[in-house]
Amino acid sequence: MNILYVEDNKINAMVMDKMLSKNNSNVILAENGSQALKVVKNKTLDLILVDINLGLNQMDGCELLQRFRKLDILKNIPVFAVTAYAMPGDKQRFMNVGFDNYFSKPVNFDELLSVISTINTSAPKSN
Amino acid sequence: MLFTVGQFGILAEKTLHFLLMLEKDGKIIDFNNRCKQLFPNSDETKGKNITEFIIDEDVTFFKDSIANLSDKSPLSSETLIFSAQEHGVVSIKFDFTYHNDLIYAAGIETTEEYKEHRALITISKLTKTGAWYFNPINNEMYWTKGCYAIKDLDPNIPMTREKGASYYPKESRARLEGYLDDLINNKKPYRYVEKIITEIGVEKWVKVVAQPVIHKDKVVFVNGTIADVTDQHNYVEKIKYDEETKHLALKGIQSGLFDHHIEKNEVFYSLDFRKMLGLPLDQDFVAEEVFRKMIHPNDVKSALQRHQENLEKKGHHYHNYYRLKNLKGDYHYYEVHGYRKKNDQGKTIRMIGNLIDVHQRKLNQKTISENRNRLQAIVNNGFAYTVLLDLEGRILMTDRRSLKIIKRDFNVDPTKTPSMFVDVMPLNFINKFVHTFNEVLKGNTVKTEVERITHKGNSQWLEAKYTPVFDDEYKINAVLVSFHDITEQKLAEQAIKEAHIKEQELSNLKSNILSNFSHEIRTPLNGIMTICQLILKENHLDDKDKLLGYLEESKDRLLDTMNKLSNFSEIDAIHENLTFEEFDVNYIVETSFREYKHMAEAKGLEYNLQLDESCPQASIDKNLFRPALNNIIHNAIKYTTQGAVNVTINSTDSEKNIYIYVKDTGIGIDEKNFEKIFDPLVQESFGISREYEGTGIGLSLSKRYIEILGGEIKLKSELSQGTEFAIIIPKCL
Repeated sequence: MNILYVEDNKINAMVMDKMLSKNNSNVILAENGSQALKVVKNKTLDLILVDINLGLNQMDGCELLQRFRKLDILKNIPVFAVTAYAMPGDKQRFMNVGFDNYFSKPVNFDELLSVISTINTSAPKSN
Repeated sequence: MLFTVGQFGILAEKTLHFLLMLEKDGKIIDFNNRCKQLFPNSDETKGKNITEFIIDEDVTFFKDSIANLSDKSPLSSETLIFSAQEHGVVSIKFDFTYHNDLIYAAGIETTEEYKEHRALITISKLTKTGAWYFNPINNEMYWTKGCYAIKDLDPNIPMTREKGASYYPKESRARLEGYLDDLINNKKPYRYVEKIITEIGVEKWVKVVAQPVIHKDKVVFVNGTIADVTDQHNYVEKIKYDEETKHLALKGIQSGLFDHHIEKNEVFYSLDFRKMLGLPLDQDFVAEEVFRKMIHPNDVKSALQRHQENLEKKGHHYHNYYRLKNLKGDYHYYEVHGYRKKNDQGKTIRMIGNLIDVHQRKLNQKTISENRNRLQAIVNNGFAYTVLLDLEGRILMTDRRSLKIIKRDFNVDPTKTPSMFVDVMPLNFINKFVHTFNEVLKGNTVKTEVERITHKGNSQWLEAKYTPVFDDEYKINAVLVSFHDITEQKLAEQAIKEAHIKEQELSNLKSNILSNFSHEIRTPLNGIMTICQLILKENHLDDKDKLLGYLEESKDRLLDTMNKLSNFSEIDAIHENLTFEEFDVNYIVETSFREYKHMAEAKGLEYNLQLDESCPQASIDKNLFRPALNNIIHNAIKYTTQGAVNVTINSTDSEKNIYIYVKDTGIGIDEKNFEKIFDPLVQESFGISREYEGTGIGLSLSKRYIEILGGEIKLKSELSQGTEFAIIIPKCL
């Protein structure tokens, strides 16, 4: 399973990579929106995880989602928000924007992995 | 016995009888001496008709009288009047004898009797009278032609007592018949004036007089006259009516007629007036002095002065006014209007006129004037600008303040020149006013709000209230417009609105702060927790050390956030613990500058400090100033990846303040976020990249600290070009 994780915090990116790799997923990291948009053109993906706060003067996760939604190749690919914004109402806010699911930081990996396990891996496995 | 011809001739010449021999058409054949006085020129008389000598009126009588003479009926008589020049009118009663186609006339003079008869006829004609008699024994009633004429009745119709009575109206008939019965039975003469309705329905007034003729103590005959007195009656009625009118008129106006004889110093006053003032009723004239004493003491002087002026002025009018004491001892206001009669020298000698009691009018005027003054006082002392308008929108009345504004701004005085309200109001009032005014004319009370600019240029908010004023018949006869100054209210409303927005902002800020703190804590916590999980799950981890390094980093970041949070919460306590001391700004800035030197050098940045040797000392609390400055320097280095960070002190450009500039060539800040970055804990953009985390907290603190010290922080920046912060603190003078 190919998973794209868009995250500017290097530690958080790294630990997500380690966590998901242990569960037979192939994690591709992107630091910001523009990197992510390049990745989706070259890789066949099964899932995209997006941090919301991607840094000063940068496209945020919500805007990135809008960009993804315009791309035909991502038509059936679920996009989850993974964010430290975890105040009441935040989940609803991001779900309303169009994310397929929402995970607050610190991430509950048991939950995340169980959701990931339900996703069909229609795409052929990458090398 | 028969006269001889000679004897007869002598007799005929000597007799006082007028003897004439006429042809049967009246032509004169011969006459005796006595007749000569009837004919002006007796020699030419013979052969002329006798009708040429008698008055026109009698010609017909004469002709009628001789027309029927014949042998069978040879006698007739007629009185003829001759207009004989020398003797005037001569009346002669002739007996005519017809014999052998000739007429023999013998007459005697009846001039004296005729005169009396004529006079009676004339009187009866001119006075419209008639005579009548009544015989109670055989009930015969006789009327002369005059009586018939009064009743407009044909004289040929025979008269009875009942017929005579029928001309009186039914209601008076029995009473009048009673008079006649009383006369017959009790010998009591009577006279009355009564109304009759004549044969042709005309209403007339008649005066009837009746007298008994007595024989052996019994009434045997009644003589009477009747006269048409309609004109007199109407005249008397009119006089009575006029008298009454005058009487009522004089009573009605409660005035006194007066007739002032200046030379005699006496005044006549009408009875009613004398009664009213308690003047003696048995004297027609009152001495002027007596009258003067009745004038109110305060009015005497002015009244006398006006009196004198009046007597001397041109024309004939006289006018004066004063209070007079009446019978009850009260003073009433009087006005005097009169006509002055002057003598040949033009001096007033007499005045006639009337005194009018104008007390009630004066009292009314006083009440009206008092009420108006009270109203004006209310209007003037009210908190509102008040204007009273008529139905056309003309100003009837204003309060003093409005009047002042109108006079000043429009240079008109509505109390002197009629002014339309629309002509003296600010232009922006007009549209609303016209609309509102029409609403009020329908009877509604309307409130509107308008803004005006005062002559000082301030904005003033007014609440305008339009109220219709109704008269006794509930018709609108005026519109009251009052303007309340609601500027303060408006400002208060504005302040409340602003406070509400502030409150809302504050509340948003609070949740923003919480949200940001939450974000700032969760981000490193995510690292810490996941690393712990990884370490726990994996016993043989190649890069365990690397993971522990990350753990350390995340922990530091978390701790940093927590420290700033506690700083922030301390702010409120800061105020109470301030200690101001005078410091050398060069020294204190240099200390901070040095603290970050290694950090700047580690990043390979140029790092310069420019001191100002002339800089005076500043009174500051170093516990606030140093963290504020440190934070800004720290930020500058943190956000700059290449280039320079320069710190400069300048005390010469401003008289009062010292400027400390911290300039970098870093990422810069978008201008639209200048305000935001100083808001406590609100970070620019939705997020801040890892390298720049936590700036919001620091900048807002710096700003708060410097402000507490009486200074301010200013910002110049351009994206990707760099940022310049200026810390401005007051010099210690």
